[in-house]
Amino acid sequence: MTSSSNVRRNLTLGVSISSLLLLSACSNVSALAKERVAQSDTSVQQAQQTVGRSEAGAKELQQARDKLADAKAALAKDRQQEAERSAAQAHLYAELAIAKSQSASARKAADEVLASVEVLRRESERNSPTQR
Amino acid sequence: MKLNKQILLSIAIASILSACTTTPARNETLERARTLVSEVEQSPRAGVAAADIANARNSLNAANRLAESKTRKSDMEFEATNASLSAMIANEKILTAQANDQVADGTAQRQAVLIQARERDVQRSTEQAGEAQRQAAISQTRADSLETELADLKLQKTDRGLVLTLGDVLFDTAQATLKPGAYASLDRLAQALREQPGRRVVIEGHTDAMGSAENNQGLSERRAQSVQAGLIQRGVASGQITALGKGEDFPVAGNDTAAGRQSNRRVELIFSESSAQNRGGS
Repeated sequence: MTSSSNVRRNLTLGVSISSLLLLSACSNVSALAKERVAQSDTSVQQAQQTVGRSEAGAKELQQARDKLADAKAALAKDRQQEAERSAAQAHLYAELAIAKSQSASARKAADEVLASVEVLRRESERNSPTQR
Repeated sequence: MKLNKQILLSIAIASILSACTTTPARNETLERARTLVSEVEQSPRAGVAAADIANARNSLNAANRLAESKTRKSDMEFEATNASLSAMIANEKILTAQANDQVADGTAQRQAVLIQARERDVQRSTEQAGEAQRQAAISQTRADSLETELADLKLQKTDRGLVLTLGDVLFDTAQATLKPGAYASLDRLAQALREQPGRRVVIEGHTDAMGSAENNQGLSERRAQSVQAGLIQRGVASGQITALGKGEDFPVAGNDTAAGRQSNRRVELIFSESSAQNRGGS
């Protein structure tokens, strides 16, 4: 897993470096940077759907939006590395927003189950003070 | 919880630092990333976020390499921030897995408590059913007992209630003293009445038409009273018994034959059921 993602990472890094060199030579906006920004846009939209109006993940979602806006601005100004970096972090913030939202839901469910077990146990003990 | 606080802090720091790329790289960003990454790596549930932890480790390794070069602090910062973000994502996934474990665990516990309660209910209702059955059996026995016990004493159901007729063999002629032969019947009568304190009995003395009506009235009263006394002696509550003399006016046969007269000389015990019903039908 680690080694394969390492390979992939190195590969993408290599590709991005080479395309950077290539594209900066032609003073054109990197297709890769554009794609990265587009991907992050999708991630942010997904995070928006998952987080919804709930509190958990809301802050991270906003950070993701801000990063995405930075990335788009950088893209417009032809700052490719800045665009890619902002896009990468927009993606990470979006992922974090989703993870936080999901963990908050799971926490809430767990608390509810534990509370209901407690109530049930107390009730059952009250109903049978002498038994067991 | 401790991890979460650290994560919040590191988000704050990371966002400040990443927002401003001109700020000189601070060790703190890297230090924070190192702490966060090693914490999630050491989590017993690291397996649920293996890919995120691997990303975090890769970014951290890159940041560590860049930290050696003083001219690439913003690059180092970028990688360190990514490492922290990936570690925080991993942390949230670990928390989610732990909460899901608790849900599963709690659901199992709830099931166990419910099963326990159900078993207890079953046990309790079985006990209750058994007790109800015993009670029913006891009251049925009680209801039956008078009739059963006195069946061989020629108990008759009449309009007046259950009537038991004791023949004149219990008494000597013109006497009101009970003969020893009457004791066995009285014992059983007394036992039946003691067991059913709700029952009431009216004892009626009857005679044949020999002798004066006045004498016969007196004799019938005395005979009824001596049966009453015999029952009270055997432990029956006096309140349960009423003794009456009916004289010669209620013959059950003709007084012109010896057999008829013998039938007419009798003591009748009338068991009232109304009183028993007042006591709740026992």
